[in-house]
This record gives sequence, C-alpha cells and structure tokens, in this order.
Amino acid sequence: MSSLLRTEGLTKRFAGLIANEAIDFELDTSSIRCVIGPNGAGKTTFISMISGHLEPNEGCIFYKDQDITKLNVVKRARIGIARKFQTPTIFDELTAYDNIELGVLGTDCPYKNRKNNINDVLELVHLTNERNKPVKFLSHGQRQWLEIGLLLAVKAELLLLDEPTAGMTVEETESTANLIKHLTQEFQLSVIIIEHDINFIRDLDAPVTVLHLGRVLMEGSFEQVSANEKVREIYLGHGNS
Amino acid sequence: MTEHSEKQGIEPAAVKPRNRFSEGKVAVIVFIIFALLPIFITGYPIYILPQYMLFGVLAMSLALLWGFVGILSFGQAAFFAVGAYTMGLAMQTNFGVNSGYIGILISPLVGGALAAITGYFLFNAGVKATYFVLITLALSIMIEQIAVSQSDITGGWNGMYIDRMSLTFGSLGEISLYNDIPVYYAILPVVIAMYAFVRWLAISRFGKVLIGIRENEDRMTALGFNISVYKTGAFALSGAVACLAGALYGAHANFVAPSLGGVLFSTEVVVWVAIAGRSSLLAALLGGIIVASLSNYLSTVTPDYWQLVLGIIFILVIVFLKGGVAGAISDLSKHLQSKIK
Repeated sequence: MSSLLRTEGLTKRFAGLIANEAIDFELDTSSIRCVIGPNGAGKTTFISMISGHLEPNEGCIFYKDQDITKLNVVKRARIGIARKFQTPTIFDELTAYDNIELGVLGTDCPYKNRKNNINDVLELVHLTNERNKPVKFLSHGQRQWLEIGLLLAVKAELLLLDEPTAGMTVEETESTANLIKHLTQEFQLSVIIIEHDINFIRDLDAPVTVLHLGRVLMEGSFEQVSANEKVREIYLGHGNS
Repeated sequence: MTEHSEKQGIEPAAVKPRNRFSEGKVAVIVFIIFALLPIFITGYPIYILPQYMLFGVLAMSLALLWGFVGILSFGQAAFFAVGAYTMGLAMQTNFGVNSGYIGILISPLVGGALAAITGYFLFNAGVKATYFVLITLALSIMIEQIAVSQSDITGGWNGMYIDRMSLTFGSLGEISLYNDIPVYYAILPVVIAMYAFVRWLAISRFGKVLIGIRENEDRMTALGFNISVYKTGAFALSGAVACLAGALYGAHANFVAPSLGGVLFSTEVVVWVAIAGRSSLLAALLGGIIVASLSNYLSTVTPDYWQLVLGIIFILVIVFLKGGVAGAISDLSKHLQSKIK
C-alpha cells in the first residue's frame, strides 16, 4: 500500500551542531536505497535515528505506517529493523556458526529448525566453510558478511548497512552487491546503505539519496546524481574513486 | 608464557561441542569419585567434605555470572548467608511438616527474589560492570550488618544454631542425618543435581544468550535481546543457587554467624573461581572444594602464613593463567590434540 519506512522532518542536533535537519525520506518494500554524502554529512546520524540508537530532536519515523519514533533499539529490532555498524560488531571469540545461532535465537524459530536456518544463512553469506572458525580469524570482508548474516538470522526486514564494503576486495565488493540485490528480490527485504564506494553504488543500480550538511541535497538514480553539478562539486569532486 | 595467556582470552568453552562433552565426562568421573570416597576415607574429611561441596556450589553460582555473563559479584557470600539464616529460621518454626524441607524450598526463592530485585534496578539503570561489583560488595556488607544488628532474630554476633534436619518420608519412616555418612549421601545428590541444572541452563538458549551478552552487549541489543532481563535472570538464578547451597550448609554446619555473609568470605569465593577458571562450571565447583580444603589444610600447617600462601597462588594464577587452571588445562589439551593431528 504505502511505503515501508517514512521519516518526516527528522532533525538531530548535538549541542548546537546540526547533524540532520528536517529530513523527509521514504523507502518502499523490497527496495534498495544508497545514502551518500561527504564525511560529516550526517549519514550515520540518520541511520542511528532509524535504528533507535539516537533519539531525534524533532520529527517522526513511521515503519509500516506505525509511528516508531519513541521505540528503543530492542523494540525496533524486534519489529524487523536491524543495523550493521560501521565497524563490524560481531561476537569475536565465537565461531561463525555460534554467531549466526545467536541471531536465530532472537527469533521464534523452533529448536528443530534452528540448525537448518543457521546453515542457510551461512550459505547465503558465503561462510559455510568458515563455520567452525572463531570469527576474529576471518578476513575483514568475511566479518562484514557475517554481520549481514546476523541481520538475516534475526529475520530483519529493513537492513541498515553502514559502509558494508569497507575493507573489501574488488571481488568481494561485487559479490556483496549481488548478495544485497538477491536479498531484496528473493526475500523482499529492504536495505538502506551508506557507502563511499562509487563502483559498489553503481553495481547496486538503486536510487541514491545525497546528504550534505545534514540536509537532503537531492534524490535520484545513480546517473542523475552523478550528473548533477552540485553533487559533483561537494562530493564526487573530492577525490572519491 | 604471557603471550600464551593473552591469546587464550575469555574461553568460550561452553559453546563448543567438543569441550561440552569432555566437561560432561569429567563431571561424571568426579561425581563417581565423590560417591565412592566414604568407602576409602572415614572421619573428619567425610564430615567436612559436604560443606566444601556446598562452597563449590557457591563458587559455581559465581561462575555462572562471571564466566557466562561477564559480570563479577562480590556479594555471593551474602546470598549464602541469607540461605543459612533462612534455613535456621525455618528450622525454628513449626510448619506442621518437616521444617527442613520448607527451608530448602524457601531459601532459593528468597535468594532469587533478593537478587532479582537488586538486579532489576541495577541492570535496568544500565549499571556497568565496575559499579555492579561495588554494589554487590555493599550488599555483602549490608547482609552482615543486618545479621549483627537484628540480634533478636539472628542471634547477632553469637550467631544462630541450626538443628540438623532429618529426611522424612511421611508414613514410610525417617532417615536421621546426624551421622556423617547419611548426610554426605544426602547432600551429594543435591550438589550433583544443582550442577546438572545449571549446566543444562548454561548450554541451553538462555546460556547462549548470556555468552552473547558477555561477548558483545551492543550487538545483542541491536539484535533485539533485552539484555537487562537476561542479566537480571542470571543474577536471580545465581542468587537462588547460592542461597540454596547456604541453606544446606547451615543445616550441615549447625551454625551460622554474620561473617558468613561478609566481604571477606565473598572475596574468598572470587579467589576460588579465579584460580579454578571462571569459564567452566565444573572447574568452579571443584575450585571451591579444593581451594577451601587447601585453605583448611594450610591453616593447620602454618596458621600464620596460610593466607599469604593462598594470596601468592592467586597472584600467580592471575598473572600467568588468565583462564584459571581450567583454562590452562583446556588450552594444553587443545595444543596436544593439534600436535597429534
């Protein structure tokens, strides 16, 4: 019917510094949105308000037409909003299998299906062969995938991915783009991605929201955004690949 | 050596299937040895061993918190003493049924409720580990002070005499527990049952979530786990177990004094668990038994210096074996296994 996520006039100030100002944002079910912008544009602040890690000073957040502005992190996670942090936030000492198991334990998955669910997730994020390794021994890219796997394990419907390809090789970045497209198509998930990697954003072939100084500068396709003079000036011109 | 101990970090022993089975097997062997011990040994050791086993259970209650959730409590002795006083008060009251049974039933409820109330306020307020230590320390002091000041009920400094309970079976008869052997075989199964129960919890969903909280609170929160509920649950459980152990201890020792709930004894419990290894419930159980026995032995050999000796052992373990003796053994066996492969 209507959008999965909607924000109205979302504003966040830190002691006088305006991190986000009056952001109106809308995201449909099973769609991808890239949020780009130079450092300090307020991308992570924006994601943090959606995940519940930060409380907005003004504005509202609607998820499935429900006002969730006052819900805390735990409650938002329970209704399907899950976040991948900028630095992989996983259970370092535990194996990949045990990591994903903790995600599955957050659902009402019955005991007998647990193992299958865990294995399915491990396969989706290409970690089947690493299942018994403590995840501190995994490569940076694999750790990023594992965290995405955790979000899948808790059956999140809206994934908030903060720089998911940081530290990845070109091949890993490509396969991450494919994974995310696969997730939206096969599982009807929706994804908001903060990224700097222009190739990755191009691979995703999704609408882009450009933030600048805490405000939405423009929204549009990758081509429209990259052709825009103002965007080139503030963002693409700053030496990003 | 230091490099070795750095690598080992916090042992996620309880979630690795291989370790799980090996700990289970060791536990079976240990309990069989305990069951057979009265055949070979008589006298004082058999009299005192049930008390040390209950110290072991107390240590285990701390390991559940410290090893699994990563929160250290300096208040375990407080629960132990509350258990003993509860038992004492129950034994003084005529319930119309075996007062000992009532004491055993009530004490874990009292301990669990006390811990749950304390934990609810602390964890909901997001109190961090360091402050939690301080507050549990205060809890120990409070319980000791209450035991001293409420002398009408507790006997104050003089302590409280607790009659030894008997096992009654209605019309089927009664087993007196006044002799060493019957009481030994009455307490051992309870100790085994408590170990089995806590171990079962530890490898169940609840225990796994606790380990997740220990490893990364932020992640667990962002996955939708209400961590204060789990922490409160773990603390309540730990308090209930410590309190039940204390009730049985009081019934066995026939006496409880305020110092049983004090900071000194609470600290001793922490020392036992640190030496034995907090990541294994069995290690903590044995740590309580062995270190308490060792303290007893040392105090007869060298009354003036035994605490110094224990202190030195404690420091050595902390410096060289981060995971305690159990962590070192587990590392060594892994090392040997990889050599064999």
